[in-house]
Amino acid sequence: MDGPVRKSKTILLKVWGDYACFTRPEMKVERVSYDVMTPSAARGLLEAILWKPAIQWHVEQIDVLKPIRWESVRRNEVGAQMSSRTNGLFIEDQRQQRAGLFLREVAYAIHAHFTMTDRAGPEDNVIKFEEMFVRRAEKGQCFHRPYLGCREFSAHFKLVLPDEQALEPMSETRELGWMLFDMIHDNKADRGHVHSCTEWCRPSFFKAVMENGRINLRDIEVRS
Amino acid sequence: MILQALTSYYNRTAQGGGDIAAPGFQKQQIPFLIVLTREGRFLDLQDTRSPEGKKKVGRTFIVPKAIKKTSGIAANLFWDTPAYVLGRPKPDQNDAPEKAEKQRRAFLDRMKEIFPNPNANVAVSAIFGFLEGNDFQTLLNHPSWKEIEEKGLVLGFKLDTDNCLVCERQDIVNALAGTKPSTKGNGICLVDGEVDVPVRLHTAIKGVWGAQTSGANIVSFNLKAFTSFNKKQGLNAPVGQRAEFAYTTALNNLLQKGSRQRLQVGDASTVFWAEKKHVMEDVFADIFGEPVKDNPVQDYKSLVAVFRAPETGSRPELEPNTRFFVLGLAPNAARIAVRFWYDGTVKEVAAHIYQHFEDCSIVHGPNQPETLSLFRMLVSTALQGKSENIQPNLAGDFMRSILAGTPYPQTLLAAAIRRLRAEHEVTYPRVALIKAVLVRESKYYNKDHREVDMALDKTNGNIGYRLGRLFAALEKIQEEANPGINATIRDRFYGAASSTPVAAFSRLMKLKNHHISKLDNRGRAVNLERVVGEIVDGIDEFPTYLSLGDQGRFAVGYYHQRQEFFTKKDEQQL
Repeated sequence: MDGPVRKSKTILLKVWGDYACFTRPEMKVERVSYDVMTPSAARGLLEAILWKPAIQWHVEQIDVLKPIRWESVRRNEVGAQMSSRTNGLFIEDQRQQRAGLFLREVAYAIHAHFTMTDRAGPEDNVIKFEEMFVRRAEKGQCFHRPYLGCREFSAHFKLVLPDEQALEPMSETRELGWMLFDMIHDNKADRGHVHSCTEWCRPSFFKAVMENGRINLRDIEVRS
Repeated sequence: MILQALTSYYNRTAQGGGDIAAPGFQKQQIPFLIVLTREGRFLDLQDTRSPEGKKKVGRTFIVPKAIKKTSGIAANLFWDTPAYVLGRPKPDQNDAPEKAEKQRRAFLDRMKEIFPNPNANVAVSAIFGFLEGNDFQTLLNHPSWKEIEEKGLVLGFKLDTDNCLVCERQDIVNALAGTKPSTKGNGICLVDGEVDVPVRLHTAIKGVWGAQTSGANIVSFNLKAFTSFNKKQGLNAPVGQRAEFAYTTALNNLLQKGSRQRLQVGDASTVFWAEKKHVMEDVFADIFGEPVKDNPVQDYKSLVAVFRAPETGSRPELEPNTRFFVLGLAPNAARIAVRFWYDGTVKEVAAHIYQHFEDCSIVHGPNQPETLSLFRMLVSTALQGKSENIQPNLAGDFMRSILAGTPYPQTLLAAAIRRLRAEHEVTYPRVALIKAVLVRESKYYNKDHREVDMALDKTNGNIGYRLGRLFAALEKIQEEANPGINATIRDRFYGAASSTPVAAFSRLMKLKNHHISKLDNRGRAVNLERVVGEIVDGIDEFPTYLSLGDQGRFAVGYYHQRQEFFTKKDEQQL
């Protein structure tokens, strides 16, 4: 990309909901959630409010505002994958009862900024998208309903303005082990706008540490 | 978190010289051993089984790790079923003998793969000598052989001069340790973050109650719907070889029969361990399990107090800040679901357990145990008192709230009350459970109103509690009026009285007058009238219905008042 990286100021978004499930990859069949929100889930939340090809979100820090509480729920899921060539599948025939260990009553504060990508046009600039995000978030607008890990656990969100009182995270410090950071996708095989995953698409992980309820993602080592 | 904690438990046990298999090995029950001479001549068939209950169980040996068998043919090293070892399948299987022959070849090939030159090792050459000699007649004539073949029991090999299995011989173990696959790592392990070879299929976990006996998996992707990003099987969650071996071995070790670190809570097979060696690992099962027969009075308080006291911090084996993990597993199809997971310090766990017993304690008869085991309480909420009728999620939720010190699930209260109304039996475990739910809830949410107590509390003005007491008093009057009566008002009216009091009590109060008039002892009649008057004092009218919480208080009030009558009687006799 030409010129310096065009980076927005840090935006603070509070999100909360009754349930959340940031599914661990190793236990994604009988789901077990990570203890806290993963960076990629936070990114997804921001993208639900505003995403354009011209911008890319970066999560800087996640604050955990409520104690970690668990709940085990059995629910219906679907046990089949639909082929793109069929007219559909009859879900009642593919029902599966699966157990899940979910989080209850969560609230997080997401600190994030975005950078401009090389798909930004001449009319795009940082200020434009910053203001767009603020307008949209304040009005509660979103492209799709933001969610906490799984689509069915919808999230409420509220933009925290710089002059507003800072949100106090819970006071707990502990190591959370290796956690999914994000998926790294291989775009070489893409046709047009359609991405199909190859064996080169791989997950990346980082060592998550919660310090006084804050998970700092600024200078972390991400392995993939 | 779960896999990480299990992996470090494995490392801890292996480094501490604990009873756990080394990488590349596993524990396995081998019921029969083929004893050979050094020349490869068959000597004997040794039965290692000992009776355990109704079944006979083979001795456990440490053997090379089993290969994950699917429908294909894959042989284990130095141990397997008769089909693999001798090419003799189970008689009831209609597999053609050709398959057995293939299996036999696979067994030999597997050994050749590791020991290309069999004659270099005395034990290996003996096995080859025997198996390739094809003279199995003496073995097949052995009295035990029929059973082995019918049941497909696993066979191992032993030399007559050794007192261990062939695969446990030091030279073989050394040789196997040297033949580690040298594949270069090509992925990152999500457990330890290091580069390693991701495992495609994980070792099955055995010993989860209700799961398949051959084992089930925690990490598995057995349908296409579970995969994403075009990944196959284990690559969906890259767990390296080292971590996969460590966590499955640790978990299988914890779950194995006779393990001191497992506990059955309802349908959840529960295992627990500490970050480093800690006495809590030894006593945790005793605290929650059934009291030992010869020591019915389990002194849980002093047991738990040891872990709570701060001054014990000076004794390293009691270090209160050691992390303690509790994992509850329940089966679902060929998979294992995590019912609950708890991760806290020993101090926290001890404090919460103490609180739990405190909340559950209630006045009881002299022959009943001071503390109730989880099993007894859970079973009291189940149809016919059978453990298989405990509601599936209840046990896990109960255990979790005990360990985390959070309010007990409301479903527990509902289940206990439902059983009460259906069976009209106000038993000690049920009432203890109801009391615990009510007390814990009001404590947690800082409700200022007064909650039910250990024993009868005459000043408790809650309408549910009072009506419960009244109901007990009315029943007592009936019993005294008609001594030896079979069915009392409890059998006919308990459900109605506890849920819609206005309908039941107006009738019961009329009945009471009849009963009182039947009493011969006038003094007693006056006394009982006084008790009833005391209870109803201040009740202006009977409510139309009682909430679930008040129905619980009704049960506790009834129970308290009844206990009170019993103790009174004892005192009179003295």
